Parts: sequence; C-alpha cells; structure tokens
Amino acid sequence: MIDYKTINLGHGSGGLMTQNLLDAIIFKAFSNPYLDKKHDGAVVKIEGKIAISTDSFVVSPIFFRGGNIGELAVNGTVNDVAMCGAQPKYLSLAFIIEEGLLVEDFIKIVNSIKDTAETCGVQIITGDTKVVERGKGDQIFINTTGFGAVNPKGNIGAKNIKVGDKIIVNGSIAQHGMAIMSQREGLEFESTIVSDTTNLNFIANDLINEFGHGIHLFRDATRGGLASVLTEIASEIKKGVSIIETDLPLDRQVAAACEILGLDPLYVANEGVFITIVDQYIADEVVKWMQKDSKGKQAVCIGEITEAHPGKVVMTSTIGGKRIVSPMIGEQLPRIC
Amino acid sequence: MAKTYKIIVSGQVQGVGFRPYVYSLAKDFSLTGTVSNNEHGVIIYVTGAPKNAEGFYDNLIKNPPPVSKIISSAIEEVPIQNFNRFQIIPSSKEGQVNLPLTPDFAICDDCKKDIADVKNRRYNYAFTTCVNCGPRWSITKTFPFERAHTSIADFPMCESCNNEYTNPANRRFHSQTNTCPECGISFEFTDNRGNIFKAENIFKTIAKQLSEGKIIAIKNTSGYLLCCNAEDDGVVKKLRTLKNRPNKPFAVLYPSLELLQNEACLNAKAIDVLTSTERPITIISLSNYKGHIALQEVAPGLNQLGVMLPYTGILQLLANQLDVPIVATSGNIHGSPILSHKKDVEVKLKSVADYFLHHNLEITHPQDDSVLKISDKYNFECLFRRSRGYAPNYLNVEVQSNDKILALGADLKNSIAFFPNQHLYVGQYLGNLENFDVYNRFVEEIKAFINIFEQKPEVILVDKHPNYQSTQYGLELSKKWNTKLYFIQHHKAHLAAVLGEYGLFKDDNVLGVVWDGTGYGDDGAIWGGEFFKYNAGEMERLAHFEYFDWISGDKMSKEPRLSLFSLADESFHDLLNSKFSREELNVLTAIKSKNKLKTSSVGRLFDAVSSVLKICDFNSFEGEAAMLLENRIIDYNIGRCVNYCKGFSGKTIPTLLILKGVQSDIKNGLETAQIATNFLFTLASIIYKVAENSGSSKICLSGGVFQNTTLIDMLIELNDNRYKLYFNRNLTPNDENMAFGQMMYYLNCENRTHLQ
Ligand SMILES: [Fe+3]
Ligand SMILES: [Mg+2]
Ligand SMILES: [Zn+2]
Ligand SMILES: [Zn+2]
Repeated sequence: MIDYKTINLGHGSGGLMTQNLLDAIIFKAFSNPYLDKKHDGAVVKIEGKIAISTDSFVVSPIFFRGGNIGELAVNGTVNDVAMCGAQPKYLSLAFIIEEGLLVEDFIKIVNSIKDTAETCGVQIITGDTKVVERGKGDQIFINTTGFGAVNPKGNIGAKNIKVGDKIIVNGSIAQHGMAIMSQREGLEFESTIVSDTTNLNFIANDLINEFGHGIHLFRDATRGGLASVLTEIASEIKKGVSIIETDLPLDRQVAAACEILGLDPLYVANEGVFITIVDQYIADEVVKWMQKDSKGKQAVCIGEITEAHPGKVVMTSTIGGKRIVSPMIGEQLPRIC
Repeated sequence: MAKTYKIIVSGQVQGVGFRPYVYSLAKDFSLTGTVSNNEHGVIIYVTGAPKNAEGFYDNLIKNPPPVSKIISSAIEEVPIQNFNRFQIIPSSKEGQVNLPLTPDFAICDDCKKDIADVKNRRYNYAFTTCVNCGPRWSITKTFPFERAHTSIADFPMCESCNNEYTNPANRRFHSQTNTCPECGISFEFTDNRGNIFKAENIFKTIAKQLSEGKIIAIKNTSGYLLCCNAEDDGVVKKLRTLKNRPNKPFAVLYPSLELLQNEACLNAKAIDVLTSTERPITIISLSNYKGHIALQEVAPGLNQLGVMLPYTGILQLLANQLDVPIVATSGNIHGSPILSHKKDVEVKLKSVADYFLHHNLEITHPQDDSVLKISDKYNFECLFRRSRGYAPNYLNVEVQSNDKILALGADLKNSIAFFPNQHLYVGQYLGNLENFDVYNRFVEEIKAFINIFEQKPEVILVDKHPNYQSTQYGLELSKKWNTKLYFIQHHKAHLAAVLGEYGLFKDDNVLGVVWDGTGYGDDGAIWGGEFFKYNAGEMERLAHFEYFDWISGDKMSKEPRLSLFSLADESFHDLLNSKFSREELNVLTAIKSKNKLKTSSVGRLFDAVSSVLKICDFNSFEGEAAMLLENRIIDYNIGRCVNYCKGFSGKTIPTLLILKGVQSDIKNGLETAQIATNFLFTLASIIYKVAENSGSSKICLSGGVFQNTTLIDMLIELNDNRYKLYFNRNLTPNDENMAFGQMMYYLNCENRTHLQ
C-alpha cells in the first residue's frame, strides 16, 4: 500500500519505509527468481566470454518526447553490452532519488524499466535505492550495469579494422539530443522532435549471426554524437576515417532545428544510433540486410577507412570541400574571427 | 696610397644579383678585392684609393640592386691586402645559412623588353628572368637560394644561358633562374578533357578564347589563376557559380597601366604599389570609374575594385594580346588552397575551366596574390593578404634568441612563422584550417621550413583556443618532438604583432587597441573589442566592449542579423520580426535567456549595425557585412559626424548604446552613408577617449577591424598629432599576423602560460 505522494528521506533509510517502497513498487515490477531471493547480490551462470558495461543516467527532463530516464537507463546499458558483440542478459539497477520525487513519476519510471527490459530480453537481478536531500540531486539518477555472453560467431574489435572497410550507420542522427534540448530549453520548433531511444541488441546480434567475422566493429553514437565516435575510432586505429556529408541520414526537421541553433548534428547525442564497420566486400549486403530490420530501416553507408590522414576524420562537405571533423573538446566554441 | 676596406651588408641580399652588382660597381671604381656571402650577409673586401672606396660604398648603399633590401651596413679599414683583380668567391653552405630567404619578384622592365623584341632570343619566352626578377620562394626546395636548390634545376642551362650566367658583364650573371626557349620550361595547352592544342602563339589563342567568353586556368609561377573576360557579366557570373563564390569580389588584371589609368583615377601612391616588385592586387576606389567592367558581377555592392598589373612573363605575354581587363582569381574552389599541380587542377577545376595552360616548372610553395588597400584620404597602405611578393621573409625585426621557435598562428587566416636562427620568417597566407586541403598545406609548409633550415623547433607557440586545428597540431608536434609548448592569448598576440613591427617592447604606457571578430579570451569569453595597457613586457586588459550574448556557434559570424538579435532590446521588436520567422524568434529568445557564452566582439557589432541598416543579414564570406558597410561611405566630413557614445568615460564601452544611436538616426531619416560614417566616427572617438583616460601617448591598433581604411583615415584625422598611432604595415592587421605576434609575445612578454 502506498499512501504518500512523494518520496522522502525515510524511504532511503534502509528501514521499514524502504522495505515498503521496494515491495510495493520495485519487487512488484521486476519479480524474477534472482531478485525474489532479496539478497544483496545475485548468483548467475553465463557461458563463455562475458561483456560488462555500466552507465549512470542523469538526464533532465526525466520525461521527454519519445521516452524517459528509465527507458534510457535500460537501452543505454543494453546497447553498450551489445556493442561489444555480446547479447545482454542481466542488469543491475540502482536509483539515487532526490527527496520530493513524485511517487507517481517513480512508478512510471519503474514500469517503463520493466517494459523496456522485457523488450530487450534482460532480467534485473540486483539493485539499490538511495534517497538524497532536496537539492543534492536532480529528481532521479539511475545506474545500470549489464552482463551478457559474447557471441562466439563474432570477432568484434578495433584491431580488425582494415583500410577500405565501410562505415554503416543504422538511422537518422541527432534526434535524441535535439529532443532533450528543445524540451529542456523550452524551444518551440514547428514540429516536435522525438528521442530515438531504442534497444540495438537484437539487430547487433543478428548481424553477427549473419555476417560473422565480416563485422569488425560496433559503436553506439551516444554523448558527443557521431563525430565523437568516429574521431575516437580514427585515433585508436591510427587510420583515416572519411565520410560524406550528403550521405548522413538526417531528418529534415532535426536538420532545421540544428540550423536555427547553429549546432552541428554530427556532435548531437543519439540513443538509438550505432555504426558498424564492415568488410568492404559485404558492405552493400549488410546495408540491404539492415534495411529490413525495424532498427535499421534507414541504414546507409556513410564512409570508409582510409590510408590517408591517419588519426583524422575528414568529411567531404555538401559544397565539395573537405572538412576536418575534430573531436569535441568541452563546449562548442565559435572559431571564426 | 691604396687602402683596404671591409664592408658588410645585410638584409635581402640573396638571389637579387647583389654580388654581380658589387662586382661591376667595384670595376667602375677601379677597385680590386672580393665579394662573398657569409652568415652576416654580403662581405666585401676592396683595395684602392680611399676616395674610390668611399664612392663605391656610398653608391652601393644609396643605389643597391633594385630588388635588394639593405637593413644594415658597415665599412671599416683593415690591414692592406693586395688583390690582382676583383672576384666573386664562392661561399660555403655554413656561411650562407643565415641569409634571409627571398620572395618572388615581378618581371623587370629589361626582361619585359627582351620578350617583346622580335630579334631577342627570348622573344615571347614566358619564363624570362634575370637577377632582378622572377620567382624565388615559389620554387625554393632547400637553402640557400641556388639553382640546384630550386625546381629550375630540372632545366640544365644551354650553352648560351651558361655564357650569360658566367659573364660578369651580363644582367644574367649568376642569375639562378636563367633559362631560355632552348633549354627552358614549356607549355601545354589543353581543353578540359585533356586534348592538347598546338598554337603559333598560345597567348593569342587564349586572348581570343577569353574574348569568346571562355574560362581559362593559367599556370603562373606561383599557382594557377582562373581567368575570364571582366567585361562579360555572363562569364563572370558563371565563374562565381562554378567556383562556389557568390559575392566575394574578384581581382582584375589590367593589361597595362595606361588602360587602367584611362578607366580609373590613380594617385601616385597607387601607381607605386601597382608597379612595385611585390605587385599586389591593389584595391582602388571606383568613384569616377569610366571603364566597362561588369562591376555588379566582379565586385557586387562595392565601390572599390582590386586591380593588378602583369607580374610574370606569362601574364605579360597574355597582356600583350589583350585589349580588355580580365578577372584573374586564384585557381581553386572557394575555401581551398590555390592549386599548383596539373593532376589536381585537371580533377578539381575540370568543370570550372574550359581550357588549361599548364607548364612543367614545379611550384614548391604555391602562393595567392597579395592584396593591399590604400586609404582614400591619408594614403595609408594596409595589407589585406600577405603572400606572393612578400612571403616568406620578414626583415624588419631583429630577434635575439637561442631558441628555435615555431609559431602556428590562428585558424581562420592561417600563416606560420619560424625562427630557425638569426632570421625570422613569416610564411604566406594559407587560409582556413578547417578546410582539409588548407590544413594539409599548413602541415606541408611546416615540414618545408624544417627541411629547408634543417632545424627542428625547440619551442612551439599556439593560440589559446582549445578547438583550433593549429592548437591541436601544436600539441601533437610538441609531444612528438618533445618541445616546449606555449599558449598565447589571441588579442595579446595581435598587439604583440604591432609592438614587434615597430620595436616598441621596451616602451611603457602604450595603449593597445585590438578589435576583431573572435578570439578565445583569458576568461573563457569570446573577445574582440579589447583595450590593453602595455608596460615593458606586461599586458593588462584595460577596457572592453560590454559583453553581449554569443549565440548559435559559428553561425553568428555568418548571419549579421544574429548579432543584431543578440544586442537588441524591445525597441527592435518590429525590425527583428521582419528578419526572422516566428519559430526562429521563439527558439532564439529561449536560447538567449539561458546563454552563458559572452562576447565583446567589435566585428559582431559591425554585423549588427550592418543588419540594422539593412545592408547585410547574411555573410557569404568573412567580413562581408563590414566591408559593405564601409563601402556605403563615399566621402565624409569629420565636422559633420556624430558620436553615439558621447557621455562614455568608463572601462566598459556601451555596445547597445551605439546600436541605439544608429537606430535613432534611422528614425530621424538620416541617410545610410551618414549613419555608417557616424558609427565609424563613434568607434574612432572611443579610442581617443580611452587613450585620454589611460594617459598613453602611443596607440597600437590591430585586429581584422583595422582593415577598415575609412576608420584608419578618421583616426589619423582626429588625432591632430596628439598621439603616435601604430598600425600593422608589413603584415596584415587580421589573423595572418597571429604567428608573428605569438613569436613577438614569446620573445618579449612575461606571463606566458606554460604546458609540459
Ligand atoms: Fe583575430
Ligand atoms: Mg557506458
Ligand atoms: Zn629581369
Ligand atoms: Zn638556355
């Protein structure tokens, strides 16, 4: 029974109030044999190599167009595990709640976590809940850690990338960042932009099953956008990355919003966008295959790995010139004198 | 009684026919002795009557070879030595390594005569040069400047050329670039599919094609030029589209000074510059223009035109066939560096040019044409772009340092500076480093400097802006070579550039005025309207324009209306509604209310004023709005000007107040030209107000804003000899001076931020 409207410090005390909150909301939502034991930890069995990833989610606002912080917390970690070439199976879940969070909102978030976890095929097997004083948090922070077995058919790793490999992206970029920003800053664009948050674990795993060692790398383009992922890869493999601006999938509305704000969509965050770097000979096939999947309808090849300009990402721009895509260092500062 | 004297001459004395000149002068004065190069310059020993030696020295210093530049000279008597004749003696490489590099020189009158003379063996030979003219830096591979160290080495001299080269009486004695039709460089004329055409006189053919509205890419000695008939608006428009250059003015090559003078008013200063050995594009006023150039296409919205005269045998031979001026613009797609290789041009300009004139002389340092403007009233010469004819030597400063220093400049108008030993070099304008091809050239130029002098830098200097490509590359290099790295604030480097040009570092209480578009400030804001107090090695920010919001990233500099939006209060409501959609206004208002990034940029204030005056809301090239604003002013009367900032006396210049002054003059129905004049007058008055308050007697001014020659004229006029004004003169005021400024700051100022 819940007879209070907001969460207060007592709910994080570890006492009866905490138990009450957990029973009424969390255990109710995530009932499974591991969690139901109510231990401080869970013991699971996973065959083979294991991929682990952890992430903390601090998004504001916590409810946004196209999703909420709970959905993000599951997809984000699930995708990070999937990008290692593994199929995520278990998740830990920890909340840091700011005193005053509406119980109603908390329930919505928990339910969303539950639904998303089901969609992803992962179980929440351990967790934690803390409450902090008003002003010491921002409504709710969530940490998740994901575990899963690496698909033995694959061989995912930057070391496999060769000159000539193609870079494929699964869908439109910059949506999540623009959705969050427009809502947070109260920007009234003519049409609403919706976050692209989604799980990528099945499409990634299926790609490995289908193309095996032809898939050399997965990377999701979250914070820092596509530019950050590509610049990281270029400097890691010490080869060049060459992309073509006109090939980037970009929604017209998102492009217009970026244009008004003077933002470069390459640097705007995504939550359902990933790139895969594949052997050049199977690139066309991979694109066609991805386009049949609901998570890859707009899949397109955006560039390739080059011998030229090692460590640098160079974009052939709309007007024909070539531009260096720099790593994002702090904020976007104007350069022009 | 004969005596022996030792004479040392230093400066630009290499590749300029100095030693042959000394040789013949010594003979004229009946002196024996030797001449050679050493690390101090040219060293001469003469033996003869003291009167003759004196006469010789006097003559040498007062009338040196036309393209040489003497910085210092000294004569002293030494113990008597007996020579049996006068001789040029070879110099060792060590002896020469400190002589300055030499820029390209425009074709001289003697060589012009040679190629026009049917009886001369160089008749119609486009690569005719002598000790007084021809390419130098463009073809330099290593040091010192000798034939074997240039790409001319691909063309061994024939017997006739070699006779000239070894005959002391010949103008081509020791001329490193000597070639002729027999042994020299050859052309290849093709269409844009690569079909080769033969012609009796290639330039006659080209002139005909130009008159028929064709676009031709001509390989000059410093890079390709794209040429078309300047009087044909159709073809100029076409070139704009193909080059992706909507509004930026094109330079025009006049076939002769006579034709140019028939069409436009030139004063003596302009004629001097136009016919100098640097021969830059010179921006002249179009008041009283009588010619037929398609001005609306060549220089849209402007009351000025960049013109130049032929500066190579190639352009001279073409000019001889022309009776109209032609557009001659750098061979590139807008924003990329000037092209110099046949294979690049064939790909990149395939759809731009109808025909190509190639030749087989390799260009090692491609350079754009330099650009200079002379102010209308006081004839102040302001460099806009420093490249062919000026780069890479910088002679006017003496540097004392044991460090080998490389300065990487700023990103937008990049140039680099290198101090390998006694001489400081400032390379040519390279362009915007965001463009990958420009970035590559930047990397190549750094490599070239290091190879030429066989010296690795021990100190690297970069801008403080963390996202500049030049800063990033500096970081990379300093790690690779384990050098020291210093970050130098943009506007302080601009100020140091002026202090360095005039050698003012020992002075106290100098006022520095640095106004430009953007630079990364010490407080993380975007500076651009700065006043500094300089006291022997220390720079202190004294005053600045009141901060306003920097919104929309790089877009703010591209859309002057955004600067207006940022500065505007409610009274601009209707005007903003006419410039933005409702959606844009809603979004921008929301952004502005939470924005944290601030700016004091005068460049953006120019943009805002330009937008209020309905002159320009969108820049198609950097500084367009400010240029168009200045061009509205045909003439001004300082007595009729109004200062929008009259009451100001503090340390923060009220930016919005100036904009409101403009607004109220518009409401009062004042004409745009007068309002633009008042705005510049206000800026000039502010400088003097701050100067009064600071008690300085010297004012140094730098930054892109000081390319506004009307503002310079006003400052000179208002000064009334109260202050000494210092503007950049051998360098541009814009970011091209940054590398030099960084170097000067490092060498002379304290408080350097140190990393590693
Ligand atoms: Fe600047
Ligand atoms: Mg993570
Ligand atoms: Zn000559
Ligand atoms: Zn010859």
